[in-house]
Amino acid sequence: MDLLLTAAQVALAPAALLAVLAGTLLGVIFGAIPGLTFTVAMALVVPMSFSLETAPAIGLLLGTYIGGMTGGSVPAILLGIPGTPSAAATVLDGYPLTRRGKASLALGTAVVASAFGGIVSLIVMVVSVDMVAKLALRFGPAETFGLLVFGLSTICGLAQKSLVKGLIAGVLGLMVMTIGIDEMEGVQRLTFGTVVMQQGISLLVAMIALFAVPHVIDAFVDHYTGGRRIEAVADVRAELPTIRDILRDFWLMLRCALLGTGIGAIPGTGGPIAAFLAYAHAQKSSKRPERFGKGEMAGVVAPETANNAVTGGAMIPLLSLGIPGDPATAILLSGLLIHGLIPGPMLFIQNPGEIYQIYLAIIVAYVSVVAIQLLGIRFFVQVLRVPAHLLAVGIIIMCAYGAFAIRNSVFDVISVAVLGAMAYGLMRVGIPLTPIILGLVLGPAIEREFRTAMILSEGDPSVFVGSLPAAVFLGLAVLIVGTQVVRATRATLSARRTEDKASASVTPSE
Amino acid sequence: MSAEPDQSRRLDLIAGGILLLFALAWTATVWRTVPPGFDGIGPRAFPFWLGVALAVLSAVLFGRGLRGSPPPADAEDDDPPAGATVSTGLRLGLVAAVCGIIAVYGVLMQKIGFLPATALTVAATLVVVLGERRPLIVAGMALGIAVGAWLAFGQVLGAYMPRGTWISLF
Repeated sequence: MDLLLTAAQVALAPAALLAVLAGTLLGVIFGAIPGLTFTVAMALVVPMSFSLETAPAIGLLLGTYIGGMTGGSVPAILLGIPGTPSAAATVLDGYPLTRRGKASLALGTAVVASAFGGIVSLIVMVVSVDMVAKLALRFGPAETFGLLVFGLSTICGLAQKSLVKGLIAGVLGLMVMTIGIDEMEGVQRLTFGTVVMQQGISLLVAMIALFAVPHVIDAFVDHYTGGRRIEAVADVRAELPTIRDILRDFWLMLRCALLGTGIGAIPGTGGPIAAFLAYAHAQKSSKRPERFGKGEMAGVVAPETANNAVTGGAMIPLLSLGIPGDPATAILLSGLLIHGLIPGPMLFIQNPGEIYQIYLAIIVAYVSVVAIQLLGIRFFVQVLRVPAHLLAVGIIIMCAYGAFAIRNSVFDVISVAVLGAMAYGLMRVGIPLTPIILGLVLGPAIEREFRTAMILSEGDPSVFVGSLPAAVFLGLAVLIVGTQVVRATRATLSARRTEDKASASVTPSE
Repeated sequence: MSAEPDQSRRLDLIAGGILLLFALAWTATVWRTVPPGFDGIGPRAFPFWLGVALAVLSAVLFGRGLRGSPPPADAEDDDPPAGATVSTGLRLGLVAAVCGIIAVYGVLMQKIGFLPATALTVAATLVVVLGERRPLIVAGMALGIAVGAWLAFGQVLGAYMPRGTWISLF
């Protein structure tokens, strides 16, 4: 109890509250602008959190994460364009509601559903995260290695369209993190004798380069091709649903919140999957399924509850095991690391106060989200009118200064430029960028735990199958990758058969 | 056969080829420059085997492009990339422009200080790269972003703002 009160004193101090509010505002803005994801906002915010104390820094990061997840619903409802992939399912009924003149109520309902989903997921997280962490405390290097490899295997879920390209991305991320001084034996690796390379590639520099720079380039390309144009939006306000409306959808919201939390807890899944599953569930369980897609409020409630519940779910493996499940939590992890908080089971022993601060920051962030969305909806409508290429100019400045602020080094700024160009090239040839981040984040720990386990077992690799948890985790990783390989092979064979049939049907007529 | 699968195979071929060469160069450099260490799993093992893994995966990608394996049935891209029809020259130009601006801005920050460097970079980007000709927009954005960022980062967050070695206004 004392610990909670002390944490409350720190987390609810004016500076911390202001940081959560600022983060939430930034997250909602980035989430609300189609194409500008809140992952970009998080990559830009992490270097800014350097100069802050731990509590405001945590608040800034969590506020950006939670605000971003919620902000995506604004353009989804008003314009029919999801601000974030997680809000894609909200478009299905949110936009028809706007066309029927119910935009204000849809926006208000989305805000309430989002906050409900987030708070329920927080409760589930608080209950479960400690148990998972206690279990993980019994792990030695071999078990931790197995767990990390299992986390890395979620690359398959993040690989989007091609498993080979996803694996290439993951390996590239792991490779980058081996550059610099080897932390176990102090040997220089791929530094080419230069001093600047000895400290390796900064994780934050890589994140800014991977997420923000390609976005800026795309915004400029769109400008030259006359790409996306935002149509005029009428002035709206957010109108809260009545108590009767909330009670009518209460059980649906609860079910979707639990579904979203569960999905979020599985690394590699995330908001879009949870939102679409919740939408399908709402339609199936509705007495009026035929009204879905035409402006049914439950079609907004379900995805918005579920995608926000993902935030609490994703925090379970992040805090208890140190495994991020998506790019946003990977950036959150790096932000926590900068402030000396190492997510994983030891965090609960070494920094119990900070754990409570995280819980409180999440609650404050959800309260801020509700306040900001209800009061500031007209402001977001104005922001939506600003052309994307002009916003991108501001992002260039944030990218460069953010990279500079990490170590006050121009080398880091130039690294962002070089890595950004490379990231854009990889993106253009279809290599997904998210698995690179997972490789960057998990790489050093995987190598360290593997080598420590091998040293302790005097070079006997059977240590990885001799321990039941290690064997289970490694088995699961093999199963996940194996399943994906089989699925990808089948899909390729099926596509080839279709192509063969098509060419066979063309040949006789020639 | 449509042009899209052809394009996809060509990209696989290019990406696979470049990455394969990179992986081979990486593996050779690691073998030559990183000592194996005292036991079997020393500092060389991880980067070396990662290089080998990348070489194998790149070869698979290259082979796919060479053989012309069709993309999986579920691999259709619902959301075409930005400016799907834009010429390669313009795209490369914009990549060079954005990355060049970031690098030059980094150097300028140290030479002339944060405020002038930011205002100059924003104005130059708007005029030269984006072709913006409205003086109010250019001046407003240049000053707005520079002063706004200086206030937010330097004054509110207390972050270090480079003062400039050639000229120093603050």
